[in-house]
Order: sequence, then C-alpha cells, then structure tokens
Amino acid sequence: MPEAVAAPSREPSHGYQLRVVQEVLLALLAKEPSHGYQLRARLQLALGPLAEVLNAGHVYVTLNRLEKAGLVTSERVGQADRPDRKVYELTAAGRERVMDWLADTSWPKPAPAEFHLKLVAAAAAGLGDPVRIVDAQRHELLEGLGAVQRAALAEPEGSVAGLLLEGVVLRLQADLRWLEACAQHWTSKKGR
Amino acid sequence: MGRLVLICRLAARDLRRRPGEAVLLLLAIVAATTTLTLGLLLHGVTSHPYDTTRAQTAGPDVVANVTPLPSGQPADLAALRALTRVHGVSKYSGPYPFVQAVARRDGHEAAVQVEGRDSAPAAVDRPKVTEGSWVRGGGIVVERSFADAFDLHTGDLVTLNGRSFRVVGLAVTAAMSPYPATFCLTPCGLGTLPPPKGAPPPLDPEAHPGLIWMTPADLGSLGSQPSAMSYILNLKLADPAAAPAFANDHSSASFSAPSLEAWQGLSRDDANLVRNEQRALLTGSLLLSLLALASIGVLVGGRMADQIRRVGLLKAVGGTPRLIAAVLLAEYMALALIAAALGLAIGWVAAPLLTSPGAGLIGSAGSARITTSTVEVVVAVALAVAAVATFVPALRASRTSTVLALADSARPPRRMHWLIVVSARLPVPLMLGLRVAARRPRRTALCVLSVAITVTGIIAVLAAHVQLSAQQVVGSSGLSNPRADRLNQVLLVITVMLIALAAVNAVFITWATVLDARHSSALERALGATPHEVSAGLSAAQVLPALAGAILGIPGGILLFNAVSPTRSAHVPPGWIVAVLVATPVVIALLTAIPARLGARRPVAEILQAELA
Amino acid sequence: MMQAINSQVHGGPVVRTRGLEKHFGQGPGLVRALDGVDLEVARGETVAVMGPSGCGKSTLLHLLGGLERPSAGEVWLEGRRIDRLSERSLARLRRHAVGFVFQAFHLMEELTAVENVELPALLAGRSPRAARRRAMELLDQVGLTDRAEHLPSALSGGERQRVAIARALSNEPLVVFADEPTGNLDSGATRDVLRLLDRLRAGGQTLVIVTHDSRIAATADRLVSMRDGVFVEETKLTHGTSRHLGELAGLEG
Repeated sequence: MPEAVAAPSREPSHGYQLRVVQEVLLALLAKEPSHGYQLRARLQLALGPLAEVLNAGHVYVTLNRLEKAGLVTSERVGQADRPDRKVYELTAAGRERVMDWLADTSWPKPAPAEFHLKLVAAAAAGLGDPVRIVDAQRHELLEGLGAVQRAALAEPEGSVAGLLLEGVVLRLQADLRWLEACAQHWTSKKGR
Repeated sequence: MGRLVLICRLAARDLRRRPGEAVLLLLAIVAATTTLTLGLLLHGVTSHPYDTTRAQTAGPDVVANVTPLPSGQPADLAALRALTRVHGVSKYSGPYPFVQAVARRDGHEAAVQVEGRDSAPAAVDRPKVTEGSWVRGGGIVVERSFADAFDLHTGDLVTLNGRSFRVVGLAVTAAMSPYPATFCLTPCGLGTLPPPKGAPPPLDPEAHPGLIWMTPADLGSLGSQPSAMSYILNLKLADPAAAPAFANDHSSASFSAPSLEAWQGLSRDDANLVRNEQRALLTGSLLLSLLALASIGVLVGGRMADQIRRVGLLKAVGGTPRLIAAVLLAEYMALALIAAALGLAIGWVAAPLLTSPGAGLIGSAGSARITTSTVEVVVAVALAVAAVATFVPALRASRTSTVLALADSARPPRRMHWLIVVSARLPVPLMLGLRVAARRPRRTALCVLSVAITVTGIIAVLAAHVQLSAQQVVGSSGLSNPRADRLNQVLLVITVMLIALAAVNAVFITWATVLDARHSSALERALGATPHEVSAGLSAAQVLPALAGAILGIPGGILLFNAVSPTRSAHVPPGWIVAVLVATPVVIALLTAIPARLGARRPVAEILQAELA
Repeated sequence: MMQAINSQVHGGPVVRTRGLEKHFGQGPGLVRALDGVDLEVARGETVAVMGPSGCGKSTLLHLLGGLERPSAGEVWLEGRRIDRLSERSLARLRRHAVGFVFQAFHLMEELTAVENVELPALLAGRSPRAARRRAMELLDQVGLTDRAEHLPSALSGGERQRVAIARALSNEPLVVFADEPTGNLDSGATRDVLRLLDRLRAGGQTLVIVTHDSRIAATADRLVSMRDGVFVEETKLTHGTSRHLGELAGLEG
C-alpha cells in the first residue's frame, strides 16, 4: 500500500495486484486440490484480458503466505521428467475463511470524495478552473471507457470475463454521469 | 337514476367537445329523414287526394256523358236525363254542355274541353276555386294543373277559337282527372271517321285536352252548333260504393248511349299521377339513409378509437367500458332524435312545394298533415340508423379490456400482405396511396360504399330522366307535362342531396385518413418522399376506392331503377355512363386535394417528436 | 464489413454549419433551441453530440438532416447549401445523402422488417427486386436475416433499432444521423447497437450521433458537448488501449 504522504504513483511498474487474491485462491481450492499453475490458469480465465496486467509471481507468494497461516496445506508430487510440483489443498480453517468471505456483503468503496475535494480546493485557492479539471478527467475516463468497451465487445457472447468488463463499463458510465453533473455545477457557479 | 344522469351528462359533454362532428352526423341523418318525411307526406296526400278533393268539391259518384254521333246525330240528351231518375241516384247536377276548342296564348296553342256552367254552385261537382273567382260573363275558370302547364294565371287573356276571354280563376274538380291525364269527353280519336257536321275536327287521340269552365252563353259564342255539343251529367248515388256496378249496369256499347265513369276509376287514375314522385322520394330516402349510415360508420369508427383510449382512464373513476358504450349510444340517439325532428319540420315546410299549384290535388294547399304514424316511422328510422351504426363499435368497446384500451394498439393498422407486395411495383404516389388505404380496410370499404350508393342514385335518376324526357312533351301541344316537371324537380333535389352528402363524406374520410396517417406520412417524407408524392398518395387512397364505387354503382343504378319501376327497362346512353365514370374520380380528387395537401405539409420533425410522448 | 463510401469529387467536409440558430415561439415565450452553432464533420468521421435534455441536440440533428428549417444560419451538405431548399428538393436530397435513426425507431408497424428496410429504396425509384435484394443484404449485415419477415411488434427493441439502422443505410447515404439510438434500449440491446455503430465507423461511414449515453460517446472520433443551445466543449478521442485498464477494473497498482 502506498504511504499516506507519498504521491500516488501513476506508473504501475510491478503490475497490478488483487486485494482479495488470498480469498480468491482459497475459494478456487474449495472444489479440489490443485497445482499452482492450475490456479493461475483459472484466475486468468475469470479475468480475461485483464489477467495480463496481473502480477505473475503474486500467486505463488500468496500461496506461501496462506500455507504459513495454516489455511492450506501443500504436498510435493513427483513427476517423471519434470521438477516436482506442489499440490495445494484447503484446510478446515481455510474453508471457514472462504465461507465467511462468500457471506460477506461489504462492497468495494466508491471514491468520489477525493476528486470532489480536488475541485473545491482548486476553486477556493484560485489555482485552477474546476471545469477544466472536470473536462480533463472526463477525457481520461472516456478514453478508458472506449478501451474497456472495445475489449468487452471482443469477448464472445456469454463469456464470464465479458461480465467483468461490463461491470467496469457501467461503473465508468456512472462516474461520467457524475462528472457531467460536476461540470454543470461548476459552470453555473462560474457564471454568477 | 344517478347512472342515467351521469350518462346524459357525459354524452352532452362529449357532443360539445366535438361540435363539428356532431353537426356532420346531424346533417347526414337530417337528409335521410327529410326525404323520408316528404315521401310519407306525399303518400299521405296521394292516398287520399282524390277523396279530399271529392269531399271538398262534392264530387260525383258517377260521371255520365253523351256525344254527338259521327253520322251527325246530336247527343242523346234524353237518355242522359233518364239516368237522373234511376233508382239509387240521390242527387245530380247538369247536364252541362261540352265543346272542344283550341286555346291560344303567347304563340302556344293547346286543345281544351270547355264546360258550360252557371255561376251558382251546383248540387254535385262544385269545383273548388283556388285562385280568383268562379265563372261570370266573359270570364273563364281554368283547371289548375292545365293552368300550370299553360302558364295561366288569374287576369291573363286567352283566345279560345279566336275569341278572347279573361281568366278569372283557377279551380280543381273531382269529376275529371287533372291534366294531362284527362280523357276525352268530346269526340276524339274517332280515327278516319269524318266529324259530324258543324262539329270541330276531333281531337288527336294522343292529345290531352285541358279543362275550362265558362258560362253557357260564352260557350255558345265559341262557334259550335248546338247539335254538335256534348253533355255531361254528374250523379251522386245513395250508395257510393255501388258506383262501379251502377256504371256497368247502365253502360252500353252503342255510340249514342251515355258512357259512365265511376269515381273509383278516377281515384285510381289520380293516385297514379303522384305514385312516381312518391316512389322517387321513398327510394331517394332509402339511398340517403344508406349514405347516412356510411358517413356515420366513418365518424363513429374514428370516434371509437378515441373513446377506447379513454376507457382505461374512466375505469379508474368507476366507469366501465359498458358505460362508454352507453354514453356513445346516448349521444347518437340524441342526435338521431334531433335529426328526426328537424327532418319532420323541414319536410312539412317543403311539402307544399311538391304538392302545390299545378298538382290539381286539393290535399295540398298547405294542408299537408303530419300524422302520428309519419312521426313514428321517421323517428324509428332515425333511431335505427343511429343504432345500427353504433352497434358494432359499441359492442367492441364494451368488451375491450382495460389493458388493451390503455395500450395504443387498441386500433393497430391492418396489414394486407398482397396489397403491400403489389403496391411496391407501382409509382410512388400510388404505392403510398394503396398502403394508406390498406391500413384501414373498413374505412376504405365505407368510401367505396359511399360512392357506390351515390352513383347508384345518379344512374337511376338519369334513367328516370331519360324516360321522362320521352314523356315530357304532351301530345302535339308542345306544352310541358307538369307531372314530369315535378318529378324532374324531385329527382334533381334527391340527386343534389346525394352528391352533397357524398362530397361531405369524401372530405371527412380524407381528413380522418390524413390524421390517422400523419405519422407514416411524416416518416415517408423523412425517408425521401416529396410532399407532392405524399399528398397525391393520400388523394389516391380516396380516388381509387371512388373509382371502384363508381364501377359498382352503374349496374346498381340500373338494377334499382328496374326494381322501382318494373314496367320500364332502364336505358342510359353510354356516353353519360362514361361521363359519370370519369367525373366521379375527378370530383373526389378535387375534393380531397386540399386536405391531402395540408396533411402533407406539416413539419416532419414536429410529428415525429410528438410520437414520443 | 460495411462498404466504404466511394470517394467523390468533393473533398471537403460532409456536413458544415455556420451560425445555426433555431427559435420557437416569440416575445416573452421565445425559446432559443439553438443559439449559434458552428460544426464541421469530415468524411468518415464519427461525431458524438452530448448534453443534458433540452440543450438542443435533437434540434441540431433535425436541422442538419433537413427535417426542419433554421431560423438563421447556414447548413451545407457536401458542398450544397440546404437550408433554403424547397421541401421537394430536401426530400430528394434525403433519399441519397442522409440516413436517419431515431430514438423511437419509427418503423412502420404494418410492414415487415424487410419491407421497412426496402422502403427508402422504393421511394428513390429503384426496382422492387433491386430494393428487396439490397434490403436482405443489409439485414444480413445487421444480423437479422432470420427476422426479415417479422413485424416490428414481434421484434425486441434492439432488433427494431437494428432494422432502423439497416433502413438508414438503404440508399448508401453520405451521413447517418442518429438521435439517441440507445435511448429506449436495455443494456444487451445497447451492446448490439454499439457493435453495429462501431462497425459502421470502421467501414468509413460518416456518423453524427446525438446521445447522453457515454458508452456511445466513447466510440466516437470527436465529442462535442452542448449546453443551452451552444457548443461548450470539444474533445478528440484516440482509440488506443488504455494503460490503466487494471486500475479501472479495481485491481490495485
């Protein structure tokens, strides 16, 4: 997690991480024990084009952590012409953790507060035109929306990854609607 | 009771909301009821005209006359007088002398029969003077229908056999059928036999002599020898019903014996005179009723669509679809009653025009009576017309569910697959027009029907006119036949009413079509149709059915004419038929041009945006 | 793949307006739907016009397509000035230069899908056979061949709009004007229409789309924002892949 005082980084140099990747891996093991690479494959399937941006090594690091926490157990399986692979299995504690996670209804937080305060500060300090800031942000989001949309349209009908992309599209739409409202508000404020 | 009041209030409010349509409907039914009233009044007049004339003129039960023989032997006056003493005779008047003469006036001449009468009223056959006064020295009285044909009025001068007389009055009588159905009392039609000595040449058998009364002294100055005079005797019997038997018993085939005519025969002849008019009026009334039905069908169809949409809303305040149907029925019944009253009033006012001077019927003269049966019939017909026209839509409204009513698809356009396929091959205006017509087949059918009824009427009238023209000139006198004139007038009035109603129908149907098709018209223009093409299409949607209606109406008119007058077969010159076939679509095209043009000129965007609401 | 528009002699903008104004009413009730709008649309460009309702976007489209006359200003369609043309010439122009797609679809209820699509061709005077052939081609391109003989009432909203788009393409128009094409559609139907519009754009069709749906706007080359009858902002959009895809999806950087 970036420190509170450090500036938010805009360049993802290490790839993206999934905040709940621990719970996801546990859930993927609930059905049957699996190899590490199998888990990664299933994750990629679920994320579709977004899987590419995921940090490759993260999966194994997390599995180790889970083992240390006693939520999974691992076993080495010998293979004829390949190095040994680990097979991971869910423990009872792990299963409980999965069930808790599935039953949890907390929703990822929306975050309009930051942008909102940005606009207020710009207007109050006279450092920038809020409308310009909104327009710039809108441009960014529209470009993003366009890209996600293209990816979504490329997915076959009924694909599960397509569902994820649809979710992104709709969130962006909602954000853009809010930005439109911001633009209207700050324009009329200027007009006074 | 409260429900009834509610229905009445809703009906009244609805009528006030659309006054134009209410007036249109009223006009349609009034046209039908007026002609019906006229027909019935005429029927009332014709069924008892002779009786009325008889009663008012103390008409004879039997008319007997003797004429001089071709051999020169004078008329057998004694034999005539002998009839007055026959058992069963209660009263008599005459014998009165009779001669024939030639009347001249303004270059026209006509054959007349002149009867010599005292100025004192007779016991039997007192001709009723309708204008001026009775005979006096130098003054003659002319029978009314002949006066009408010969254009004679009180105060005019007429030359009879070279002598000038002044007309002092016009009168009607029951002893003789009115002109031109008069029969010869003086020798006429004796063919090749030479006339008796001293007698004027016999009248042409085709001649229909007029009837004139004058004093016996004036009669003597006309130049006929006393031995060449005929005589007429009017008899009243104790038992008027026995008149035909009496006439039979006392007639004989010999020339010299008196010839007798019972009043029943005269009555029959009389009735025949106006039978044609009556027939024409009743037929015309039938056609107008049908046309009224068609126009109501269109009006009601359009209103129903609007009403059905309100059903859903009214249900929310406790109204039901049946209530709506009841309201609509109430509206049209009310209109029908008003129309019936108006029709009766107009008919009563207009009746004298048909039965007045020249008719020779005394039943007229402003005394056209509206009997209760007439009122009943007219009201019944008006209500029936309204009920029939609203029955089907009212039934549909009462059965419409609320859901369907609120959805706009309560009256979706119909689809006629073959018509759409065929229309694709036609030029654009025809294609658009056919498709517009196909959207509402019921309305298109009503258009065809409306024109077919009108053309049927026109063709029947033309056939009647052709037949009348043959009868127009009476004999050799060159005078017009007042009966034929009257009939022509009646036919003209009916034709005008038919055409007027059909024209109103056409305009109204076009308006309804334009409104109904405004969305698709706007869309077609958005897709590239020019306003001209669209308005031509809207016109074509009326003109094509009109052509079909005209084609149907021609055999229809001929059939109708043959049905109404079975003795005649219709003959209409082909040139007129072609003229009607060509004129009908042209007239419809002209009538529909303006609404069609207006409909095609509204801003497209406005219409398309409005459809979103 | 949609056919690219054949290049014509005129190389300038397909649509051009200058000082476009539209007023409704008068006196105290005067509404300025458009208050001076300048716009140029190049060949093959997709322009999205966004703005709140009542800002005049639909009016702009109607004026561009010749469905209404401006109160002031000029409208040029491929070098031809159209704001002064007669209704008849405008209708003729609409046949070949313009295709319309409406929010309410505006299909003829009593015609089947293929009959709806062939209508502009029939109005332009093409033979019934040629019109029918082209209509079936277009229906194939929008993926509705098996629905050709269905009435609009038997089609879903998305299918109806796709039929409307096919109809708009019937006479190979210079520009397609779409007024809130996804306004009445659910998300699935919107996706279908989006795909279609994207393919049109890729095929070189000039599009002017009025919308308040940012998903449509995101597919455009140029985005114009309107407010109270005037343009207030203009953005050009690239069509690259976003580097921040993961961030947008909720993955942490």
